[in-house]
Amino acid sequence: RHSSGRRRHREPVGDCCPPGDGVPMRCQQVSVLYFARSAELAGLRCETLSVPRQITSLQLWEEIVKVHPRLAVIQDQVIFAVRQEYVLLGDQLLVLQPGDEVAIIPPISGG
Amino acid sequence: MDESEEVPKDFIKLKCEKLSVDEVSELVISPYCGAVSLFIGTTRNNFEGKKVIHLEYEAYTSMAETEIKKICRDIREKWPSVQHIAVHHRLGVVPITEASVIIAVSSPHRAESLDAVMYCINTLKASVPIWKKEIYEDEYSWKENKECFWANSEK
Repeated sequence: RHSSGRRRHREPVGDCCPPGDGVPMRCQQVSVLYFARSAELAGLRCETLSVPRQITSLQLWEEIVKVHPRLAVIQDQVIFAVRQEYVLLGDQLLVLQPGDEVAIIPPISGG
Repeated sequence: MDESEEVPKDFIKLKCEKLSVDEVSELVISPYCGAVSLFIGTTRNNFEGKKVIHLEYEAYTSMAETEIKKICRDIREKWPSVQHIAVHHRLGVVPITEASVIIAVSSPHRAESLDAVMYCINTLKASVPIWKKEIYEDEYSWKENKECFWANSEK
């Protein structure tokens, strides 16, 4: 979806959703799911967030912590599940599609 | 008898109701199998001196089912003679002594089903997105399986 029809060259992630830019061209609406302790800290179980289409997993975490600062305390213990595949918080580049599911995964304790 | 006539099946269920050992073991029984091996995970009433009132489980349900399916696929690669696999995990409140997980595996001879059951519960604890909260008298605690590689607190 392009709101203006222009193609932009690759920009730093921080410029992706500048204020006053109308519909951000390079952001995607993803579903973020919170479980266990992360749901308690965020105060909710799911929401839609607008995030840059290309983003490292650590940057994605930082975007989420901006919205829910209380999550910062569990940064060293969580990983993501992006489209139901586990992803560590780090340099891995994610290419997100609209509607993708991103889950915050605290240490598991099934069985 | 042609052993390939019975299609191997995986029975995976996450549910809030009480689990049944009879139901789970009957799922995997097969006329081609001489062994059914079972694991039952039950809730203990204490942890580090604290009295546990009950457990509560939650899951990323769709991914948990997918991960359990992957474990079943791995089991069939490692132990090709395994016939049927059943994994039932309870969600929500689980009272003390009740089962939170039941795993049953059938195979023609006992070694494969015994090994497969152990592999199944060990791998479930390492990879399936299910979380357990222990409720004590005055507080609660989210548990972390030692098998979970991202729970390492020594980072």
